[in-house]
Amino acid sequence: MSSEEADVAVRLEPGSFRDRDSRVVIGEDAIYRVLAGGGLEDWRALSETPLLEQLLADGSIVGTEEVDLSVLPSEAREILPGGAEAVLRHERIPFVSYPYEWTFGMLQDAALLQLDLELKALDQNLTLKDASPYNVQFRGATPTFIDIGSFEKLTPGEPWAGYRQFCMLNLYPLLLEAYKDIPFHPWLRGSIDGITPKDAAAIFSFRDRFRKGVFTHVALHARLDSRYSVDESGDIKKELKESNFKQELIKANVQRMRKLVSKLKWKAGETAWTGYRAVNTYSDADAEMKMDFVREAAAAKRPKLVWDMGCNDGAYSRIAAEHAEQVVAFDFDHATVDALYRSLREEGNTKILPLVGNLADPSPGLGWRGLERRTLPDRGTPDLTLALALIHHVSITANVPISEFLDWVRSLDTAMVIEFPKRNDPMVKRLLSGKQEGANADYDLENFERELAARFQIERSEPLPSGMRVLYQVRP
Amino acid sequence: MRVLAYLDAGSSSMILQALLGGVAGIAVALKMFGKRVFSIFTFWKKDEPVAAEATTATTASATTSVPAATPAKTEEAPAKETV
Repeated sequence: MSSEEADVAVRLEPGSFRDRDSRVVIGEDAIYRVLAGGGLEDWRALSETPLLEQLLADGSIVGTEEVDLSVLPSEAREILPGGAEAVLRHERIPFVSYPYEWTFGMLQDAALLQLDLELKALDQNLTLKDASPYNVQFRGATPTFIDIGSFEKLTPGEPWAGYRQFCMLNLYPLLLEAYKDIPFHPWLRGSIDGITPKDAAAIFSFRDRFRKGVFTHVALHARLDSRYSVDESGDIKKELKESNFKQELIKANVQRMRKLVSKLKWKAGETAWTGYRAVNTYSDADAEMKMDFVREAAAAKRPKLVWDMGCNDGAYSRIAAEHAEQVVAFDFDHATVDALYRSLREEGNTKILPLVGNLADPSPGLGWRGLERRTLPDRGTPDLTLALALIHHVSITANVPISEFLDWVRSLDTAMVIEFPKRNDPMVKRLLSGKQEGANADYDLENFERELAARFQIERSEPLPSGMRVLYQVRP
Repeated sequence: MRVLAYLDAGSSSMILQALLGGVAGIAVALKMFGKRVFSIFTFWKKDEPVAAEATTATTASATTSVPAATPAKTEEAPAKETV
């Protein structure tokens, strides 16, 4: 291939190293996948089928095209041990997110997408070599599969290599949430490989074994795990082949798994926040003015990326999305965010990405060298941040000093619309009621304004009609 | 050439896929386990002279404390592991 000067600056994606024949590098506006050997053979096998066009057209896989090797600088072409043989260019996902930030519905949809792709791949004598929900990303609330390198030629007689990983990272987290109401987020955040069959089995009671999927995929799986060691897997593979294990078996199993996963339901119930819009402490006049304020700020900034921190039902995310390319809507209340996701998914929304997260304990860097899964700011900082009805929770509930919170937002180099509920606001009073007299003394309008002005240019400020809250529009 | 699979499918997870595969899966599992069970019996049958050798070897190398049942035990042990 040509050795002309490359026209893009790239850096290696630190989370892409497991596959020796297929590695990802990040360019300015696109992601590149460098292929060689088996990785290239598998890409050729996929691109020769009608499946690739079909999946690209319906958006279930990320935009992908093969480009000339010379697009990449020579050092990027040398990242594979034997040198690159081909390069793919992928569309850039607006904001990368991880399963431990998703809602139940998001993980369920990501799991179903992988199973659907596996079924379609099997029809073309292909298979997915793994089954990690990290291979799925969301454009707004619409899932798409990003790991094109996962498609490979099916080896006759071999079972689905991704089954175990599917259980550990997709099925068990969903079963835990659906059957036991145990949030999967801390577990997935704490274990990059997911939940082992043994650990999952320890959580389910004898009675749970009668619920769909528990006896077979969890209890039996754990039992077999205790009898067969990993070093036997080569022999078992051979024996299965000799015993006539067929592709139809994979298909039947994946179809059954699809049925199981699609029927799982998490009864989130009512949390304090799911009906917040109906019972919140401020008036319609306040809400209306807030909406206008946010709309005007978003229209003036035309931001690429908005973070709506403490998004609740996403009403303000929707307003910001009228003028933004992508809005990431965070809230720590899983049930509320799941309800938001479901309504966005139904609309086919591709602009608002709902995520579960606690601002006072945000996603850290994880995995190998702490770089495989990145922190939120590492994945893209916002041009506009909404912090509506938020700071009292951060300052009073989480005890983060106002100055530190503002320091952190300032470090993101973002414009912001921030709402300050005064000490006479009913919610603030409630949060303070459990505290000692004089606690959170820094939570005071005058102090807040001083700290804000020390870090940002205040472009506009308006008290809400109720007189208990003030809105500010600021820029760095 | 692909030398190693990218992901270890896991022994138990592969067996489970046969067990969960309905009638066709059970047939695979039976065939697979049948071979293993069969191999135990053939091992047993063929083993008599081997077992005798083992007995001799054991008695020869052992001092006095090896019980006579030891060779029988070594026969049973693989059977337990493989079923």
